[in-house]
Amino acid sequence: MVALLKEIYRAEPSFDEVLAKHPRFPRLIARKIDVQRRGVHYTEAAEKAVDPAVHQLRSPYIFGSRDGEIKPLPESLLLRDGTTILVDPTPLDQNPYVVDYREGRFVLVDGGEQLEEVDLWPKPVYYDKLTTSGLPMSHIVSARPQRLNVFQSSFCYFWADKEGCQFCDIVTHTKQQREEIGVPNRLRPEDVKETIAEALKEPGRFTNLCLTAGSVTKGKEIFDLEVEFYIELLQAIGENFRTKKFPSQLIASAFNEKQLARLYNETGLTSYTTDLEVLNEELFGWICPGKARQVGYQGWKQRLVNAVDIFGRGNVGTGIVGGVETAQPSGFKSEHDALQSTLSEADWLAARGVTTVYIVWVPRPGSAFRDQKAPSLDYFIRLAQGLQDIRASHGLKVDFDDYRRCGNHPDSDLARLQ
Amino acid sequence: MPATLTPDVIALLDSAETVKVLATVDANGAPDAVEKPSLHHGGDGTIHVLEFLETSAANRNLTHTIWYGGSISVALHGADGHRVQIKGRPVKLHITGPLFQQHYVRARETLGDVDLAGVWVIEPDEVIDERFEKVRAREDAAHPDFIHLDRIAV
Ligand code: SF4
Repeated sequence: MVALLKEIYRAEPSFDEVLAKHPRFPRLIARKIDVQRRGVHYTEAAEKAVDPAVHQLRSPYIFGSRDGEIKPLPESLLLRDGTTILVDPTPLDQNPYVVDYREGRFVLVDGGEQLEEVDLWPKPVYYDKLTTSGLPMSHIVSARPQRLNVFQSSFCYFWADKEGCQFCDIVTHTKQQREEIGVPNRLRPEDVKETIAEALKEPGRFTNLCLTAGSVTKGKEIFDLEVEFYIELLQAIGENFRTKKFPSQLIASAFNEKQLARLYNETGLTSYTTDLEVLNEELFGWICPGKARQVGYQGWKQRLVNAVDIFGRGNVGTGIVGGVETAQPSGFKSEHDALQSTLSEADWLAARGVTTVYIVWVPRPGSAFRDQKAPSLDYFIRLAQGLQDIRASHGLKVDFDDYRRCGNHPDSDLARLQ
Repeated sequence: MPATLTPDVIALLDSAETVKVLATVDANGAPDAVEKPSLHHGGDGTIHVLEFLETSAANRNLTHTIWYGGSISVALHGADGHRVQIKGRPVKLHITGPLFQQHYVRARETLGDVDLAGVWVIEPDEVIDERFEKVRAREDAAHPDFIHLDRIAV
């Protein structure tokens, strides 16, 4: 498999050849996509230059990484235009980009050529602190350059029912995090509240909060218990703010209108995302069997549309795992057809006030799709441009999930010029 | 090869008395010129400018320029009449980190309840002395025919 991956990247058209076909696509965003696609390897010089007092090292994350290891390496990178690259350390034999340290700077290198100067993410001050209950705050709330991530629980009932999404490694990774670094299974609201209070002491560091977790299907109505957890957590977090609402994103299951109204009215939450993962009904059934059986593709979509009435246009989104629609044997055989289908669904959603963002699909070792091959750089460029063009044509904002508040969606990076 | 900022230009950049204007263009070539009192010398031969609004025309245009190339212009007019134009390119945007935080804190101390979207770093390519006598001397030397005859009539 490893040798195969290496061959795949080598046999492709080069970065410059691909970019030549997209002269209006920003080179830095294409570079981000390619780095995410291929991963990075830190040289010995780079590892030595990492200063744990200054740079943010990898913290608990809801999903795993492609090296399948938890090591004290840098969390991720920033490009010179402020673009975030969320990228995993990747074994050298998979032909990743290389991060080296030369003449006092971290640089991105490929094929021996120095391409870009990069910055490591700065470490937030609260990362060195403990909660009153004695837990490292970095295990409670993790940071991106401008956002706080609260991974409320890394357990998913779809997984437990053996109907987890096929690209997802949440439970494999949870077990590893719990066993190797003692990350708690479920967060206590008072620990989260305390950690966020500490994080907010650092001026100019954070612009929003993101909450997410696996799906909790339990309750009188499906997801009632999940909604209860989030309300409790958001109310605790809200005690840190003097305004009722605070810039925040919840990425959760597809809630019904009653549940959404409760979330909106009883907490400070300002935006809502529920991930369809793949914009095709048939593939949704294959790739996300739990979601498909318990809510269904059409049901999931309808709940997104209903959320717009509650949270407002531009404050509701769905995430897709870009490229997973080409997974075999049931996915699209041609990238062209995959793109057409995905964009037409995204357009349908945008017309109803729902924005679509994608993450670059990386087949992860802990997922059922570990042996799959992600599509080409060309595909990811077209997908980013297509989604952003749709957003712009419908006059939809993506403020809550843009380059700064999130940083993990190449399409919403492009919204900087919208 | 970046242009060098001489001590008098650095002094002009760092003076609170100087009128400082940043001119950028958008994707369609439409210009935007705004006064930017925050323009200052970055300490390493670059120019720093604070951007307070994420969606200002200047911020989008600087993003466009760092993505697609092109240049921007900074016009300085000192209290003593010294005038300089600096052409350059945005080479970096700080949206987090120590430099960003330092400016964020200082901006809020001096300007009140403001936010900060980013700190742009501009590398100068050309520094042009725009004092009228200098500009006119350059024009006269390069184009002696561009003159109304009455000016040289007996
Ligand atoms: S819903 Fe799917 S993607 Fe989300 S945590 Fe569960 S299995 Fe993973």
